[in-house]
Amino acid sequence: MNLSTVTMATHLIMTDLQSIHALAASPTFAQDGFCCAAGAGGLRISCDGGRSWRDAYASLGLTSPLTTTAVAFSPDFVHDRTLFAGVPGGVLRSHDAGAAWHVAALSSPPPFVTTLAVSPHYAEDGLLFAGAMEDGVFRSWDRGAGWAAWNFGLLDLAVYALAVSPAFARDETLYVGVESGVFRSSNGGRAWRETTFPMECGPVLSLAISPNFAADGTLFAGTEANGLWMSVDRGATWRAASGWETPSPINALILGPTFPRQPSILAVTDAALCLSHDGGASWQVQRSAELTGVTCAVAPSGLRPGAQVILGTNDGRVLLCTA
Amino acid sequence: MTSSLRLPPVFQPITYRAFQAGADRVVNAIRPTLGPLPRIVALQRPLDSRGPELLDSGGVIAKRIIQLPDYRVDVGAMFVRDMLWRLQEQEGDGTATAAVLFQAAFNEGVRMVNAGLNARLLQGYLEEGVEVIIGELRRQTTPVAGPAALAQVAYTVCHDQELSELLGEIFDTIGGYGRLEIREGAGRTLQREYVEGIYWERGLFSRQMIADWTRVRSELEEAAIVFSDLHIHQPQELLPVLITAVQAGCRRLLLIADELSDSALSLLLANNKPDHMQILAVKTPGYGQEQQADFLKDAAVLCGGRPFLRSAGDRFTSIRPEDFGHARRVWADLRNFGVIGGRGEPRALRSHVASLRKLHAETTDLVLRGKLQERISRLLGGSATLRVGGVNVREIEERKALAERTAAAVRGALQEGVAPGGGAALLACRPALQRCLDAAGEPEQRAAYRILYNALGEPLRTIAANAGREPARILAELQEAGPQHAFDVFAGRLVATSTGALNDPANVIKAAAYAGLSSAALALTIDVLVHRTEQPSHALPPSPGKRKQL
Repeated sequence: MNLSTVTMATHLIMTDLQSIHALAASPTFAQDGFCCAAGAGGLRISCDGGRSWRDAYASLGLTSPLTTTAVAFSPDFVHDRTLFAGVPGGVLRSHDAGAAWHVAALSSPPPFVTTLAVSPHYAEDGLLFAGAMEDGVFRSWDRGAGWAAWNFGLLDLAVYALAVSPAFARDETLYVGVESGVFRSSNGGRAWRETTFPMECGPVLSLAISPNFAADGTLFAGTEANGLWMSVDRGATWRAASGWETPSPINALILGPTFPRQPSILAVTDAALCLSHDGGASWQVQRSAELTGVTCAVAPSGLRPGAQVILGTNDGRVLLCTA
Repeated sequence: MTSSLRLPPVFQPITYRAFQAGADRVVNAIRPTLGPLPRIVALQRPLDSRGPELLDSGGVIAKRIIQLPDYRVDVGAMFVRDMLWRLQEQEGDGTATAAVLFQAAFNEGVRMVNAGLNARLLQGYLEEGVEVIIGELRRQTTPVAGPAALAQVAYTVCHDQELSELLGEIFDTIGGYGRLEIREGAGRTLQREYVEGIYWERGLFSRQMIADWTRVRSELEEAAIVFSDLHIHQPQELLPVLITAVQAGCRRLLLIADELSDSALSLLLANNKPDHMQILAVKTPGYGQEQQADFLKDAAVLCGGRPFLRSAGDRFTSIRPEDFGHARRVWADLRNFGVIGGRGEPRALRSHVASLRKLHAETTDLVLRGKLQERISRLLGGSATLRVGGVNVREIEERKALAERTAAAVRGALQEGVAPGGGAALLACRPALQRCLDAAGEPEQRAAYRILYNALGEPLRTIAANAGREPARILAELQEAGPQHAFDVFAGRLVATSTGALNDPANVIKAAAYAGLSSAALALTIDVLVHRTEQPSHALPPSPGKRKQL
């Protein structure tokens, strides 16, 4: 393993979220600095790139914190100001950047939403997907107003991660990372098929799909205890990434926006940040006390040197790093 | 001579002539139905005042032919009918192709045998040639995916645009092993619905267990499940279940048992109190211990827990909390019960489904194959229902039968792929046969390959003739264009097979080729016809038999 140490300047912000489950940044983060952090204490919004946070559920007048487990922005956020939040038993949606919220209940018993994914062509197709801990995948055709479980062929309903093809309008492909591996849908989430990801190497906690997926068919899967896996044929075959030897769970995976031309990958474990600039062949690893308990990450400006990376931890801290 | 053999046996040279005449009558009745522009066969119904039955399916026509008046001719007709019926049951389509292949191969084979060739040797070489054809068809097979491609495959079978598009969408969703129920609908149109989770056709033991009388069903969330095929006669036998459930904190319980006495049921109803414990009891699905054991095995993998088996001498006295299965949701009504989100170990479930799929792919027993298909489809979680409507009962019945045949063909295409349709895939086998012919030495061997070579052109010739085209010209154009082309009878021109626009299910093409040509090879070895006057088997379908892996 070719390891070297990467130094990242970090800036620590404490939130009152207790633990942070998910982070998301606006597609126009560079201009508006808009991002969200979801956690046990609710949902927080920042308009200054994560330096200060405010309660997103203020308009709801809640008497107790509403645990929020997933958050996602509309790809057309600059126009529709829409974002989604996964809460126990339902999905909230806001059409005014978090000022007011509408709730859509999922089926009973209340599912634990682990991940949300929005179609890259949301403005046209209005498609959304929600992964749940014990209930598989829910699908919404109508911009989050109604949801239905669509688990044909999904033999493992413990969903941890979702990844949608950037060319979704054409290939209708998405992947779920589950307890026993990775499943693929090639018809917009209406049916699921097993991939050859080895069952014994699950659970798959994180997935990252190449921005150039239509051409290179590349996606990565981060597991809990069996390292990083990659497929270069749209999930048909998988192999362990040769340069990865860290045994920690891979909680988040981010590919650079110009992958594979500049093959940068950021893998976040609960104890370290691992950065590769050669498609996973070698890794630069940063470990520090500050990075303990990192659960999620978002890199709104990509992974080029100097770009900002936002990390969330299991004790409510937000770390602003510079790659 | 016994009473059932009062008519004299038939020997050569009459055997071939009589057999050929009978086979020709059946094949000629079916021949007009081949292709996307079939002709209709009107079948008179002597005991029915509704007028003739209008048919465009070779398999259905074959089923309707019960007996020919001349007993010598009847044997050949019934031989072909049995072959076609069996093919229809196995694949749902391909009977007209098999019929014309049979006729072409058999008639030319008869000429060869009459010219002095050995029928036994000829049969052996024909069988070898059929293997070459199957190998070539396998080579041309490609997987099929997507609603449009599946709808196109469906259309080649049913020629019904609305039905094809709906089946394309359904199979794109449920997949090749998914569960599809085709039912008669109340309206005039086709409708489909998708059902989440898994359900079985067994209902509640008592109406008093219904909690929601608006929907006439009960639902339990986060339910514990006891799987068994036990006969419960005494209420005391159930006490360990209830005590263990209470001790384990299970407040919602689904009990599955084969029999429940009134007194045992009373105990469950007495304890079925929403604020204390909700209990549903349903009958074990399946007929007989073998089917019930299959259900219990599948259900235990799906939901976890241990099944209690009568055959193993199990009793509830030994029940422990870990013997309960669990599910996110269960429901039951008076006819069915279902499970959504079984909490079994997903890896065990995936391995179990994989082993059932392997068994399904390997088995040749059609009954077992059907059962395995059903078990796999349930475990995949979710099912589709297609409701077939129509203007009257007759139309609904006919369209439902058509939908069932088409669904079987599309399922086969999903499981085994597609190959160029319209007779193009069979024609593309000719170069391989030509190579075999060039290398052949024995007269029977050369004759066999020539027979097969010629027979492979017959489906295309028939399709073209049925569409009102000139077969010889189209065949010549195709020979010139090469094997990557097929004839589109609607457009009246050749198209590249790579577009996939004229694909047929590969399993249907292979099975039709195998059935038609192998049956012809076998029929050539028949020397004596013995007629039985009592023929109950003619009115019955053939036994499902074995499905050869092609």
